[in-house]
Amino acid sequence: MGLYLWEICYNMFMIYLDHAAATPVSRKVLQAMEPYFTQDFFNPSAAYLPAKKVAAEYEAAKNTIAHAIGAKGTDIVITAGATEANNLAFTAVTQHNHGKGEVLYLETEHDSVRAVAQQHDGRAIKVLPSGLINLEDLKAKITDDTTLISVSLANNELGTIQPLAEIGSLVREIRVDRLKRGIKIPIYLHSDASQALNLLDINVARLGVDMLTLNAAKIYGPKGVGALYVAHDVKLSPLTMGGGQEKGLRAGTENVPGVIGFATAIKEAKEHLNGNRKKYKSFKQILLSELQGYELINKKHTLDNFVVLCYNGIDAERLIYLLEEKEIYVATGAACAASKGQKSHVLTAIGLSDTEIAGSLRLTLGETNTEEQIHEAAQIINEVVATERERING
Amino acid sequence: MAKTVFVGMSGGVDSSVSALLLKEQGYKVTGIYMKNWSKDLPGMKCPWAEDLADAKRVAVKLGIDFEVWDFEDAYREKVVEYMLEEFRKGNTPNPDVMCNQEIKFKLFYEEAIKRGADYIATGHYARVIDGKLARAVDENKDQTYFLYRISDGALAHTLFPIGEMLKPEVKKLAEERGLHNAYKKESMGVCFVGEVGMKDFLKEYIDIKPGEIREIESEKVLGYHEGAVFYTIGQRHGLYLNGVAGEINDGLPYYVVAKDLDKNIVYVSKNLNDEHIWTDELELKNVVLRAQPMTSLSRSGARPAGLSPQAAGATARFAKLRTPLRQDSDVAHKDILVRLRHRAPLIPAKIIFKEADAAILEFENKIKRPASGQSAVIYDGEICLGGGIIA
Repeated sequence: MGLYLWEICYNMFMIYLDHAAATPVSRKVLQAMEPYFTQDFFNPSAAYLPAKKVAAEYEAAKNTIAHAIGAKGTDIVITAGATEANNLAFTAVTQHNHGKGEVLYLETEHDSVRAVAQQHDGRAIKVLPSGLINLEDLKAKITDDTTLISVSLANNELGTIQPLAEIGSLVREIRVDRLKRGIKIPIYLHSDASQALNLLDINVARLGVDMLTLNAAKIYGPKGVGALYVAHDVKLSPLTMGGGQEKGLRAGTENVPGVIGFATAIKEAKEHLNGNRKKYKSFKQILLSELQGYELINKKHTLDNFVVLCYNGIDAERLIYLLEEKEIYVATGAACAASKGQKSHVLTAIGLSDTEIAGSLRLTLGETNTEEQIHEAAQIINEVVATERERING
Repeated sequence: MAKTVFVGMSGGVDSSVSALLLKEQGYKVTGIYMKNWSKDLPGMKCPWAEDLADAKRVAVKLGIDFEVWDFEDAYREKVVEYMLEEFRKGNTPNPDVMCNQEIKFKLFYEEAIKRGADYIATGHYARVIDGKLARAVDENKDQTYFLYRISDGALAHTLFPIGEMLKPEVKKLAEERGLHNAYKKESMGVCFVGEVGMKDFLKEYIDIKPGEIREIESEKVLGYHEGAVFYTIGQRHGLYLNGVAGEINDGLPYYVVAKDLDKNIVYVSKNLNDEHIWTDELELKNVVLRAQPMTSLSRSGARPAGLSPQAAGATARFAKLRTPLRQDSDVAHKDILVRLRHRAPLIPAKIIFKEADAAILEFENKIKRPASGQSAVIYDGEICLGGGIIA
């Protein structure tokens, strides 16, 4: 089987080290989706048999997605991406406790959680300098009115993996305690797993979450497709009103090709999970041993494909533009124009100084990378950093 | 040792090429993005972050230092507040003129000098000739209309690297040097207003008081407007003239000819010759005079023989004034050229000073009256002498 032109492009002409931002749709995913744009285009709600067939395949795809996280297809609400799923999760607050429930969220959450949490006057839970949740702070902030706690499974800037299972059992204890004391207010745990879906073995029961956000776009699936796992007793209110699709929570004709693509992507992710983790671990080792003059920011409990470095005294955003000319694409969480000139709330939260934040570079590995590329990238990054240091000192 | 220049970089092609030229001329260049406004408006995302990224990318490519200087508070106070206040008074101010006077050639200039700069530079189409502000070689792009109020002190330390170039040459150079913004869409109008337009911007900040639209001749109410401040004399669009359809549907447009802000009435007329629209003189206030060039008598080169005096673009380049302009006399100075809008043609006129900062412009032929609050900029040949605010 020959390579597609776009596959050649990302194999040969560029080194893409920003897989946390976006991933290319895999060939299998693309091939699986294609018929649903053309011959199997039917509206799943239509009455005739070909449409019923599409409806069945859509449900099967939802089952595949759900099974990948140890859930049932009926527990899944398909959304147009992770942001929408996060927004949907927070409607639990208005549905329970007369809308008076309190919201807690981790201070390093993605904007799609922070913004909606802040709308609910949510309070931020502190992180430790490691980026891990400060469990003492969480315990201190939980009250009898706390209805929703949102903690992402893995952070999108650092790749830090949060001890969700531990938080999950804490939430279970609180639930038991509330029952004992006759308090009927529920407490739910939501987690955004967008970054971790293809890097961790995820099981909702093991994590103890009541809601889990999934995203196809980060796992070589299509953009604009996400899902929210919702446990039975969690009541949500609709984001869109209409024909009652997705249990009435997300009306609108089903995105059949998107969901087929998502299911294919999640299946592939499962199959490649161990192999990829091993590969990324070795790539990470190569980077850490060959790169020069950096400090490692995300030292432990991180996803295998996340390497966050700090080049002290350097403006990492300049490195992005210099590397872009060599067709190496990386990211920064620093006070960068792309992030609206605001310095990263994540790097601030873990206690980095302004210069450390300015000097930090995020490399996220993925399926487009080869070992050869990693060696080459390390060499070019070293060169660019050296040039930049010369410019500053000269 | 190389002279130090701080160049204002907006992310556009003009300031990018300016930085490029300065670097190639051997200056020690620092690019500065002036952050003047970052607020989004309903229906419009302020593009400042992308502009900043564009500017920084070019700076990195050129290998020059780059900084962001925050002037948001000053800009809000000196430019936006001024503009809103003028609109509330019924005038049509020019915020770009104010931005150059108060921000770019004052705060930016002062800070740059404080930081050890020998010069500041911007991507304006303008020139400095013998220390005098002069129109750009690209007559079509000349931006001295927006610069006439900047101080001579700042001008003495200002470089306009692209003032000698034509816009297509600037674009071509950007393209040749691989500057990614060579094809960037040119920002039009006031930066912070952007695509939503001034009216929508003003609606955010000025209370809307609907009122009547009347025909000036008959005093008849023709319709209703959203607020008199949104209308400019001479304007022909956006009049919601309903109600007396039979009389207005003769296909002729109505023009705004007057506003009564106290009664919140906008007066319109179909008469294109209405006295409110045309005038042969303009009253100027807040007049500034720049450092004067030598007069044409003391210069050897008057207009070369054989050049048609009608070829305004050509003749307008040669100085004609025989004596320097003096603000304290009642003497009329003939032979000056006036520009009433950015890129509008230069019109010959006479200026008579009434007070140090008040003057009358007289035109041979009637001109369409510009809105009060706009600027009239005066030139002797290609040298900008200054200008004033139309009363």
